[in-house]
Amino acid sequence: MNAPFFKFGLFGDDVSLIVAFVIGIGFGFFLERAGFGSGRKLAAQFYFTDLTVFKVMFTAIITAMVGLFWLSWVGLVDLSLVYVTPTYIVPQVVGGLILGVGFVVGGYCPGTSCVAAATGKLDAFVYLGGIIVGIFVFGEVFPLVAGFYESTPMGQVTVPQHLGMPYGIMVFLVVLTAVGGFAGASWIEKKMATKVKES
Amino acid sequence: MKFSLNNLTINQKLALIIGSLGFLAVFAGSPYKGFTSTIDSEELATIVEKEVDHVPPEELAGWIITGKADYRLIDLRKESEFLEYHIPTAENIQLPSISDGQLNRTEKIILYSDGGIHSAQAWFLLKANGYKGVYILRGGLEDWKDKILFPRLPDNAPPTEVAAFEKAKLVSTFFGGSPQIGGAAASGVPAMALPKLEAPAGVQPKAGAAKKKKEGC
Amino acid sequence: MSSSEKTLTIDNAAVHKRTIVAREAQPYWNPYIAGLGLGLVLLSSFVIMGRGLGASGAFSSLLAATVNTVTPSHPASNSFYAEYLGDGTKSPLKDWLVFEVLGAIAGGFISGLLAGRVRKTVEKGPRISVRTRFVFAFAGGILMGFGAKLARGCTSGQALTGGALLGLGSWAFMLAVFGGAYAFAYFVRRQWT
Repeated sequence: MNAPFFKFGLFGDDVSLIVAFVIGIGFGFFLERAGFGSGRKLAAQFYFTDLTVFKVMFTAIITAMVGLFWLSWVGLVDLSLVYVTPTYIVPQVVGGLILGVGFVVGGYCPGTSCVAAATGKLDAFVYLGGIIVGIFVFGEVFPLVAGFYESTPMGQVTVPQHLGMPYGIMVFLVVLTAVGGFAGASWIEKKMATKVKES
Repeated sequence: MKFSLNNLTINQKLALIIGSLGFLAVFAGSPYKGFTSTIDSEELATIVEKEVDHVPPEELAGWIITGKADYRLIDLRKESEFLEYHIPTAENIQLPSISDGQLNRTEKIILYSDGGIHSAQAWFLLKANGYKGVYILRGGLEDWKDKILFPRLPDNAPPTEVAAFEKAKLVSTFFGGSPQIGGAAASGVPAMALPKLEAPAGVQPKAGAAKKKKEGC
Repeated sequence: MSSSEKTLTIDNAAVHKRTIVAREAQPYWNPYIAGLGLGLVLLSSFVIMGRGLGASGAFSSLLAATVNTVTPSHPASNSFYAEYLGDGTKSPLKDWLVFEVLGAIAGGFISGLLAGRVRKTVEKGPRISVRTRFVFAFAGGILMGFGAKLARGCTSGQALTGGALLGLGSWAFMLAVFGGAYAFAYFVRRQWT
């Protein structure tokens, strides 16, 4: 079998939009199931009282990562055809810091705000309006920040490529860190729960 | 207490599964090598034999003039040569990076280089990697020059050829070439300078990078 | 007489209880099960499409389409919008991410409906007013939109997708997001706790 199916021309652009909708349903469904439709639950991540964001996000990351590794290894998926966002390290780190502040101030990220709005959270609608304004501001000042935006390009590079490390070892390290992190997260949650009780 | 899988919670079982799969990944080797494609050698042989994968330069010229945009024209030569002259609408991708994912397997791809050898090698490489619509510009850039840019009307040509030449002259002027009349090279050579790299009127240069919408978030 | 009265009260209680159960939101799933599901959705996107999930790109397409309709001359001169408008042969809204986000809204609604979690509320801590919460939400949205564009993606496209693909920039981005959020959490603690 040849995968990614789309890149092998198994279906065209129009069908891909239907696929997008179906994949989107799954995306939104599991986000809501995890509790990501609630800004309070998302923000609790940053006060150490509920580390669901970390748990869900890293479970998803290691599931997809390990799954993709083995599917490529058996020859089902051509890994080189899966689109990796190119790295521009400095603008990405700065953008990440701004986005992180926006996350804790606003309570959502773009994907979760859609789910929150769909389940009736009024603040999520306001937040969505803010996102549009933020992108508009970026679009308007783009000629000014274009130089910075295009700075420090490193291409479509992965962490193992950059470190000169075998892909499989990196996969294991990430799994190990994540599973260790889960145990740590549960421990922190318990600590915080007793602390809240005492106070 | 005896260790048993049944004593584990669902979370511990999941951790065990993902942990083992991750651990085995260490010994599995590169995931990039796993992909192999099968080549239908008989099918390939038929294609080569019947030359159905060739695009004559006249046909390509026609497509460019009419602004057809359902194909991607790939120049396989060195960058310096590409910058000096290339067929309008062409993009420059060299042989080593041909299957890096810049091209889609669904696209109609037309390859050319100076002669035919590089195109043939790239053609085979792409076919072996599962690209469907790969074509070669017949005769490469050499034929493009001979037939499109600098068509030549031999002395004492029969009337049919003269009529055809009138059309070729128009095409040649469109691409900034110069039609040659008569067998003598002496008059032709100075005029046979490659056209400057300005897109002929009416042809929008395809900006490969800008045209493709980005895939990321 | 007394016995019939008793049955009546029990019935009433049962009816009352049932309405409460129907209205009460179910608890969220075990985060690891939800994460596994999310990971499998992401994996199928890789296998079927050769690309991951995203969200902020859809908003950019929406914005580009709007700006293009209101002032058609404006986006053409700005390479930021041009990227989302493509070659102009089709609407920027006929885009993979736009449809994916529409699906996500539908999926979130379905899940919320099934679990009894669709409710008109405002997510905030007890110490602030709704109006203050809206101001924070709007400000946070602006920062999110700006940051996501600068970083070429948001938590879905960069952290989740890029994280699973082990992209170098995506991992740096992810650490920066958590860093930024944890560093600033103290200043907005009144909003949430």
